[in-house]
Amino acid sequence: MSLLDYFMIALRVSFSAFIPLCFVAVCVWMERRGAGYFQDRSGPNRANICGFRAAGLVQNLSDGIKLAFKEDMISDHIKHKFFFVIAPVIVFFTAVVSFAVVPYADTLILGDSSYLMQGIPVDLGILWFLALAGFSVYGIILAGWSSSNKYGILGGLRSAAQVISYEIPMGLALVSLLVVYGTVNLNEIAQFQGKLLFGFIPMWGAILQPLSMIIFIIAAFAECNRTPFDLAEGESEIVAGFHVEYSAMKFAVFFLGEYVAMFASSAIIITLFFGGYQVPFLSTDSLIRYAKPIAFLLMITLPLFMYFFAGWIRRSNISHYPRENDPRVFEATIYIKCFWGLIVLLELILLVILFCESGGSAAAIFVALLQVCTFLLKVTMMIFVYIWVRWTIPRFRYDQLQKLGWQVLLPLALLNIFITSAVVVALS
Amino acid sequence: MSATVKTIERKGSSLREKLYLIEIAKGMATTFGHLFRNLKDNRKLYVRHYPEVQPEIPARWRGRQRLTTHEDGTVKCVACFMCQTNCPANCIMIEAGERLDGKAEKMPVKFNIDLLECIYCGYCVEACPLDAIRMDTGIFSVTDNNRDSFVLGLKELLATPGAYSEEEYKKGGA
Repeated sequence: MSLLDYFMIALRVSFSAFIPLCFVAVCVWMERRGAGYFQDRSGPNRANICGFRAAGLVQNLSDGIKLAFKEDMISDHIKHKFFFVIAPVIVFFTAVVSFAVVPYADTLILGDSSYLMQGIPVDLGILWFLALAGFSVYGIILAGWSSSNKYGILGGLRSAAQVISYEIPMGLALVSLLVVYGTVNLNEIAQFQGKLLFGFIPMWGAILQPLSMIIFIIAAFAECNRTPFDLAEGESEIVAGFHVEYSAMKFAVFFLGEYVAMFASSAIIITLFFGGYQVPFLSTDSLIRYAKPIAFLLMITLPLFMYFFAGWIRRSNISHYPRENDPRVFEATIYIKCFWGLIVLLELILLVILFCESGGSAAAIFVALLQVCTFLLKVTMMIFVYIWVRWTIPRFRYDQLQKLGWQVLLPLALLNIFITSAVVVALS
Repeated sequence: MSATVKTIERKGSSLREKLYLIEIAKGMATTFGHLFRNLKDNRKLYVRHYPEVQPEIPARWRGRQRLTTHEDGTVKCVACFMCQTNCPANCIMIEAGERLDGKAEKMPVKFNIDLLECIYCGYCVEACPLDAIRMDTGIFSVTDNNRDSFVLGLKELLATPGAYSEEEYKKGGA
């Protein structure tokens, strides 16, 4: 193995491990500010460092510091301290590891060697995700049970029942999808979606299997314990459910785990139904072939986009009451300068691409970076959908939840399998 | 006499509503409209930038108490104990003394109001026969970091001016 191989392994693993963690900050920020804006209030925007609020991102930092320095207590009534402590670890670990099989760029070919751009290069793909997503509920059940608390155990039981009734429609929705793709390997699935249907529609899972997509997304919401399926938490009826006895960093690990799980399931939804890392209408081959025109196009559009973005920052980042020498205007100026600096850096990188030989490793790396950006953009949009749904739909009642799972989603998923199989058999 | 019965039509039984997804899409369109409007122009948020922008307090609003004075600056209170007797929270503690300036026979030597006990009901103002205690200071936020500073004495109660003119206060129904 050459030095490059080791470097690529380190790069891939660290990407898979740290990107979900970094996205937690973005998710929490999007959740809180987004919730504010959905409800016509402003969300947390007062925390600042030397007057710099960074649109409320500083609040995350202060929350993190608060949670890290809080007293970490375990109540005396808790008998099974080992299970009590291991429960949040299970939730967090399974969430992080389930992202490891998601490819975030097409296979990178540098010279003679090729690199699978995913954390753990295994062929298990979607099976790995299903296994670990199912396992994460053990953490919640263990937390509820070991809390020795009625609310806790109710939350854990609800979560267990919910997972049983939603794993099945999820698995069945996947069956019809896998019949279409003919593989469980997520990288091959993403490559399949790079093709075009009738020559002009991207062959995404969402277009080939819309019913399967709806069922899978609903089941994924239930799997992540997000509203409208957050019965395990149910703060209005069972206080906080499974994490009612948890405080400080143990609670924070649950919290992180929830958001990482949201990121991982968004990534899976993207990979299965929305083309994964594929740029719409441009497959990896054509991206490498047209690397220079694309780089040139990006060089033109980036400053244009930044111009409007700067205008928006300038308009939004002001005090909404009369104030002499508004410090927020100065703040906005600094932000705009930082963003322009970033744009200049990107322009320089794109310029290097323009002067490199076409079709070489530089173009391959450029395409890989482009696909990583596309992937992250799509995942961010999916996370936004999660947040959007959370602040729109109220929580399901428990019997409604079971009814939806068993009487609606399960028959629909079965019907979808029959129709898909019939069509696939008829076409082949 | 028969009771009037109004039957309210139950929603959610038509097929379109039972499909959930259409109604959910409608709801999500509404919330997205709010998000988009607020992102485009965040002055439209229904938010008061509180510590900097204070709310307007009407004259009838019951704020922190104060003691009123005669025109020459002497206290109006005659230590009749009406307010203390009437107080449902037992937060007023008066100690009476002899008055030598000829305005009345008695005057308070001590007049303490424990704001941590006070429930801002306004009964003391109603009970006062001489309009000596009022709640028209417009102070609604009383904060400190030790308990002792919440017990107001005679001096502080006399020092706080009213936030409204006499006409405005009278218009408020006092």
